[in-house]
Amino acid sequence: MESLKLPKDTMLGAAIVTITGNREAFIENYKGILEYTTESIVLQGKNARICFEGSGLSIDYYTNEDMKISGKIDALRYI
Amino acid sequence: MRSAISERACRGRSMLHWIQYVRGYVTVKVWGYSVERLLNLCGNHDVLVWDIEDHGDYHTMHVSIAGFFALKPLLKKTGTRVAVMGKYGLPFFASKMWRRKLFVTGLVCCILFWCLASRFIWDIQIEGNFALTEDVLMDYLEEKGVHTAMKKSALDIGKLEQELREDYDLITWTSMQLRGTTLLIHIKENDMPVYDNRDKAEPDKGMDLVAEKDGVVTYIITRSGVPQVACGDSVQEGDVLVSGAIPVYNEDTTVRRYQYVVADADITLRYGRNLTLEEEVAYEEKCYTGEEIEIPVAGAGEKEVALRFRKVPYAFYDTSEEKKQVQLLDHLYLPLYYGKRTVREYEIVPKMHTEEEMKTLLQEQWRKIITTLNEKGVQIAEKNVTIKKNDKKWVLYARMQLEESAVKLVPTTVAESAEDSDQEDAQTD
Repeated sequence: MESLKLPKDTMLGAAIVTITGNREAFIENYKGILEYTTESIVLQGKNARICFEGSGLSIDYYTNEDMKISGKIDALRYI
Repeated sequence: MRSAISERACRGRSMLHWIQYVRGYVTVKVWGYSVERLLNLCGNHDVLVWDIEDHGDYHTMHVSIAGFFALKPLLKKTGTRVAVMGKYGLPFFASKMWRRKLFVTGLVCCILFWCLASRFIWDIQIEGNFALTEDVLMDYLEEKGVHTAMKKSALDIGKLEQELREDYDLITWTSMQLRGTTLLIHIKENDMPVYDNRDKAEPDKGMDLVAEKDGVVTYIITRSGVPQVACGDSVQEGDVLVSGAIPVYNEDTTVRRYQYVVADADITLRYGRNLTLEEEVAYEEKCYTGEEIEIPVAGAGEKEVALRFRKVPYAFYDTSEEKKQVQLLDHLYLPLYYGKRTVREYEIVPKMHTEEEMKTLLQEQWRKIITTLNEKGVQIAEKNVTIKKNDKKWVLYARMQLEESAVKLVPTTVAESAEDSDQEDAQTD
């Protein structure tokens, strides 16, 4: 699979999380949203759940492909 | 590198904002069993939601208009409820404006009016004129087709400047500029006295002095030309008194040719004139009764309307009118008038002049005639005045001998005959 040089996210269905500082997070390739409060946002990936913890979290936008979270991010955990 | 990315992101965001604004969006409040599930469904159904905020027991989010309508079945499915909190964007603004049709029409008309009005000249200011009054210059400009409320494009500033300099010798320098809708005209007048030599230019042909009236020549001194009459001669109107053709003689006293000059002489003609002045003893006097009506008047252009529909209840009356023109700016008048018409009643009372009054009345008339004669440069050499009185009227008879320099210059008439004679001479030679 490595030799085909295909992007891993499409092949594995893995989520891509891009975090800028601790204020913004950009997530692609996820399945859905499980929980949303100002303290935590839990997303469902293909294999794992991604949990953002922090304060004043909000979703800038949310589509089928990608979403953006802003607020003060304290931790990112895979459950 | 990073800053470049965020800049691009920013631009992307502002662009997105514009698109969102143009397409319109609503802010909704969502609450109920599972908002997260609603968000997932939104994502699956391609309903774009953004700026999702958690307020504890409810969430707020922005959703496009199309998205909002697509939201309905999803709400049912997830058991959540939605309430619109605000509507933003062009579609809402437009519909709001559409409801205020009159306002929008007014706004558009106003903008159009200003655009249109700025293409005209609305004021003309003249600076630097001392001897030439503003009225004279304004009349001149009017004559040249330059006036307020004219199109800017119809104005040729360079040409107008040149014409102004050419037509007024007094003006030595002109500068015009259009500032906004105002035409500023700066002129400089010549401080040095202007000598006008045009009248003194010698004509090609001579000029004769001829009599303007029948009479007797009482005084003649010739400066140039050949006198045709002497002191004491009677002349008729149109007679040549001084000829502008000076003959040059051959040795045998025949005329060789004529030299032409402008005849110039001091000539006084005496002529008689009879005058009768009448004044009736009985007269009618206007006595105002003090009754008057004021009628408001409004007019546009040539037409005028009096704002009173009942008839004036007087047998005899005077009317006087005071009108004002509607003025927008210093020099901009509209062809609209307003004012009032005053109607005053009077009665006609028959009266008789006393002897004293009759005397002063006649004297007044007589004095006026003398003054006008003096103003014209006519002198009274002799006068014989008699007054005849009777019960009805007084009549003043005056026989006067007047002296006046009643002459005028006309082109020499001998000229052609002289030329003819020259030719004849040539032929006989």
